[in-house]
Parts: sequence; C-alpha cells; structure tokens
Amino acid sequence: MKERTDAELVRRARDGDGEAFGVLVERYQRAAYSVAVAITGRHQDAEDVAQEAFIVALERLEDCRNPSRFAGWFLTTVRNRARNLIRRERLRAASQIPPSTPSDERGPAARSAQAELRERLRQALDGVSEVQREIVLLHDLEGWKHKEIADRLGIPSGTVRSHLHFARKALRAELSDWKDHEEAV
Amino acid sequence: MSDERDFGPMDPGWDDPGYWSAFRTSVMERARFELARRREAARLTVPAVLFGWSRGLVPATLAAAAIAGFMVVSEGNSVSDPEPLALEEIVSEESQALGAVLDQDSDWAPTAFMALVEGDQR
Repeated sequence: MKERTDAELVRRARDGDGEAFGVLVERYQRAAYSVAVAITGRHQDAEDVAQEAFIVALERLEDCRNPSRFAGWFLTTVRNRARNLIRRERLRAASQIPPSTPSDERGPAARSAQAELRERLRQALDGVSEVQREIVLLHDLEGWKHKEIADRLGIPSGTVRSHLHFARKALRAELSDWKDHEEAV
Repeated sequence: MSDERDFGPMDPGWDDPGYWSAFRTSVMERARFELARRREAARLTVPAVLFGWSRGLVPATLAAAAIAGFMVVSEGNSVSDPEPLALEEIVSEESQALGAVLDQDSDWAPTAFMALVEGDQR
C-alpha cells in the first residue's frame, strides 16, 4: 500500500480523522521524543513534552500553512515547548530550596546496567550544543538521513553534516573512558 | 562499536517493547475530544449548512403552496358570483324588453301616439 503523505494526513486530521492523526503520531513520536530529550535531558520531561506537543499541534493544525512541511512545523512546536519547560524549571529552582534527594527515583541499587549506560550517554550529550544533540539523536537514534533532517529542521544539509561530525567527535572523546570501562569489565 | 548503536539505550523502547505503542495510545486518548470537535466542525461546513436549510425549505415551500391552492379552491366554491354579461348580450336583452313592453299595450303604439299629436295640431 502506498504510504500516505504528511500533507494528506494533515488535511484529514483537520477534519477530525483519528486514523490519519494516529499515523502522524506513529510517524513522528520518536523524533518528537528525540528533540525533546535533546533539550530537557530527562526522559520523563521529554515524554511529557512530546505528548503535549502532539495535542497542541492538533489544536493548531490550521497554523500549519504548508501541510507537506508538517514535520518541521511540528518539531518546532516540540522544541519551543521543551525550552519553555526548561525556562519554567529554572525559574522554579531559583525560587525554591534545592531538593536533598537525587532526581533518580529508583536509587543506585535498582539501577540496571542499561540505565547506567543511558545516564552516561545523557551526560555525554550534555557536552554538545542543543542543535547538535538534536541532530545526533535524529540521525543516530531515529535513523533520519541528512537531507531529511535538513528539510525538517529548515537548515542546510552541509550544516547538518558539520554538526553531526563535531558532535560525534565530542561524544567519542567524552565516552572514551566508558569504552575502556566496558572493556575492563 | 558503531556510532548508531551507541544511542540505543536513549530510546525508551530499547528495553520496553511496548513503550511506543503505549505512547501512541496515550496521545490518541488525550486527542479524542479535539478530534470529535473537528469532526463536528467539518460536518457544519457552509455547503452542508445550505444543504441542510434546503432540505427543510423545500417541503415547507411545497406545504405553503398546497395550503394556498386549497384556500383559493375552497373560496371559489363558497362565493358564486354571477357570470358577467357581454355588451352585445346587454343591448339585445334591453331591446327585447322594450319591444315586449310596447307590444303589451297597443294604446301606446307609435302610430296611435302620432295620430294624437297631429289631431292636437289641427
């Protein structure tokens, strides 16, 4: 069966077609999460932001003037909401006493090796810029091609390659001790 | 170790195969109201509204026309106006009536009237 275009799905979703909207969700849920986690750095926040962004996007579908460029428009919504969340949290943190308990509810004893690796990767990603994190996650986690990222984020393809190159270089350096650790284990 | 495999653990579905399905279900559940609102709005487009009006308007017009027709017919039956007469009929009827009057009284015949007038002069 021929894959339906974003433009077609958006037009149908505007008329309340739940099946069409469901396809859009399935198509962009990973990308939305990647963009959100690149900014918030936390799983739970990224999940909330990504889900919320889908609902906001549905409510404002008429603002998407070019439905064939839905992905770029939608990911901008995700990015803005993630940044707003960070801004709000910074303001809240500035007005509150810092919590004495660590943010990881599971505690060190319950942390699996996978969770530890995930945390290590997150820390490594913190070392690169926001746009680089976004590009690395969309490319390496979601499997988007350079051109897809360029089209959907609205930046030149060469810039995408450049960001990816420098981000990977930084991440390799950051994770080199982890690789040594893995080999030692 | 390839770069692409490095980020696998960052994917929530990496150690939870049902994660993305649950994510989608959650979004769809939250979107239910807005989708229903949009379906209703799409149903109420301008052509649909006009079509809806026309559906009500046509039977109403037909009913009004039927009632008006019935009233005209029933009014025609209750008040029986006399048939209007043509001009020729009026003239001929009046001349016939005059002739009949003259014939009925021979004393008032034209010849007798003339004899009276001439006798007076003499």
